[in-house]
Amino acid sequence: MSSEIGKDLVWRVRLGPLSIAFNPLTLATALGVALLLLLLGLWLRRGIPRDPEARPSRRLVLLTAFLEFVDRQILGTMEEKTKQNLLPFVATLFLFVLASNLSSLLPIPGLVAPTRDLNVTLGLALLVYAFCHIYGIRTKGLLRHGKSYLEPLPVMLPMNLVGDLGRTLSHAFRLFGNILGGSIMLAVIFPILVNLVVRFRWILGIFFLLVGLVALRALWRRGKKKAFYALGLAWLGALVLLVVHVWLPVLWVVPAAFLIGTGAGVVLNFFFGLFAGTIQALVFTLLAAAYIQMAAE
Amino acid sequence: MEIGAELVQGLKYLAAGICMGIGAIGPALGEGRIGASALESMARQPEMANTLLRNMIIADAIAETTGIYSLIVAIMILFVV
Repeated sequence: MSSEIGKDLVWRVRLGPLSIAFNPLTLATALGVALLLLLLGLWLRRGIPRDPEARPSRRLVLLTAFLEFVDRQILGTMEEKTKQNLLPFVATLFLFVLASNLSSLLPIPGLVAPTRDLNVTLGLALLVYAFCHIYGIRTKGLLRHGKSYLEPLPVMLPMNLVGDLGRTLSHAFRLFGNILGGSIMLAVIFPILVNLVVRFRWILGIFFLLVGLVALRALWRRGKKKAFYALGLAWLGALVLLVVHVWLPVLWVVPAAFLIGTGAGVVLNFFFGLFAGTIQALVFTLLAAAYIQMAAE
Repeated sequence: MEIGAELVQGLKYLAAGICMGIGAIGPALGEGRIGASALESMARQPEMANTLLRNMIIADAIAETTGIYSLIVAIMILFVV
């Protein structure tokens, strides 16, 4: 798996002098995520009761809770009017990035998070950048929006332009780098762990036997004779296995590597997939909201 | 025969490791400071916790930028150059 990093399946389309590269996996996953969100939106929309006075349905409550979360946590302390204008865009952005980040958790072979591709994140960052300008022009007018590039002094124009470029690039690179870094860590740690288990199998075996001894002692003290004899038998069997493992390492090294791999997989996927994915989606949306608000002021 | 190419390959790995290792120091220190002061302020004024958390995440993201740049450079050294 670690040998696959940096090598992606790419389709090339030639349009006259242009050569455009597509990553079909990324494209398919991104479209799938978008379709899923569209279906989710339609499903939630159908659950809203026609009569506004009626008792709120479950889907309406879910929708309200989500929008309230975006309103409070992401838009925070903006003015009410700005909030109302930004809420749909920011909520959509958050949902798309979140679903894209979490899509890598699905156990489908070959599936990668769309946000692991720089093209997707750069596209999203450019979308936010364009939205900044559109919103700035709509709230302040073209002249005052253009004038904000000459502040505080007209000499600062190049600095403002470079600042815009760096802001957008770092916005894209941040999401891309975090998701790619997480997936590289996931791909690299598994072979290392299995290698370690195979290489240090003596130490690991002795450690497990010591743990077994402690458990046996606890059972003996509590007077649980039956469990003591059962575990003692298993312990003796494990001792025999450890002694003969020079000839038959497969017998317990492979199950141990499998167990440790599974446990580490749960922990690592939780951290790099679920936790980092959610935090990065939040960061991306928070920064987008902050940039748009800055453009509007 | 290809001693030069192997040397270049080895130096690439070394360069990527050094790049990422040194580049990670700054964001680590910065995010540690940000987290520490945010926690301190939250403990002093728990009613401000929501606003503080939001600003802390933004500040974290900005402090992280240089680390992300060095990650990109390391990846480029490994796979692109």
